[in-house]
Amino acid sequence: MADGLLVRARAGDAGAFAELVRAHQGSVFSIGYRMLNRRDAAEDLAQDVFLQLYRKLETIESAEHLGFWLRRVAANLAIDWLRRVPYAATLPLEDGAEVAAPQREDDLLLTRELDRLLGELSAPARAVMLLRYQEDLDVAEVGAALDMPVNTVKSHIKRSLTQLRSRMIGARLVDCEELP
Amino acid sequence: MSENFENELRRALRPLDAPAGFTERLMAALPEKREIAPVATPVPQPRRVAQRFGVPAAFAAALVVSMLLGQHVAEVHRERTEQQAGLAASRELMEALKVTSQKLDLAYQAAKAPPPPVEEENRT
Repeated sequence: MADGLLVRARAGDAGAFAELVRAHQGSVFSIGYRMLNRRDAAEDLAQDVFLQLYRKLETIESAEHLGFWLRRVAANLAIDWLRRVPYAATLPLEDGAEVAAPQREDDLLLTRELDRLLGELSAPARAVMLLRYQEDLDVAEVGAALDMPVNTVKSHIKRSLTQLRSRMIGARLVDCEELP
Repeated sequence: MSENFENELRRALRPLDAPAGFTERLMAALPEKREIAPVATPVPQPRRVAQRFGVPAAFAAALVVSMLLGQHVAEVHRERTEQQAGLAASRELMEALKVTSQKLDLAYQAAKAPPPPVEEENRT
């Protein structure tokens, strides 16, 4: 079905393109939001990504390729954006509850703390963690999306998990018994 | 690293909803006419001899080329040797002509000079 939408969008069907946007906007916006720590910048970034897609629809081969392409462009645009504007210069995620809408109160607390802790990672490490745990890509796909060797992806994941875990234990958001 | 923590992470990092009206704002921002990005068409590259005719043909072609090249190098070498030999012969001839010319010059001067005067004592 998604391939059909892609074909129709390529042929100039605006409705089909809007459907493709609706199907992927959550992922693209979330990458921008968690990378840049700003809702307005995340929306601008998502708009940039979809405008690029609109211009390059001919180069997209399949629905699967579309998903990978969008995540790759979103993550790389966010890293480029952070090179120009440091993360520290961005606003805090004060409106996290509005967009995240977690079901439980402890989930909300965890999500907010995690968003804050993710901000302490370097931009490439953050992109690796988001593509791995938010988008559920495997390490090879993460490496391909970020033009990074698989071993570098693995070491980013290992280091970031250790750092996040120790901070969350410190904040008593994760049980110490979970330690291996 | 415990799998439980990674699952917690996945749960906490699930994708968020885009802001309301995002699609409508994006569709309004799209250009009227879509500029189609040029898809790079591969330029046909001249195929190598080995790809076109097979390895034995490529080997034979390489052999012929190397033989022609060797022949040309030998020809150039022979021409150069002949040229040097010619130059040496020409130098020798010039030297011989020079010596002959000097000797002829001396003989001419000797013939042209007046005979020495005869002494009186000898006449008696």
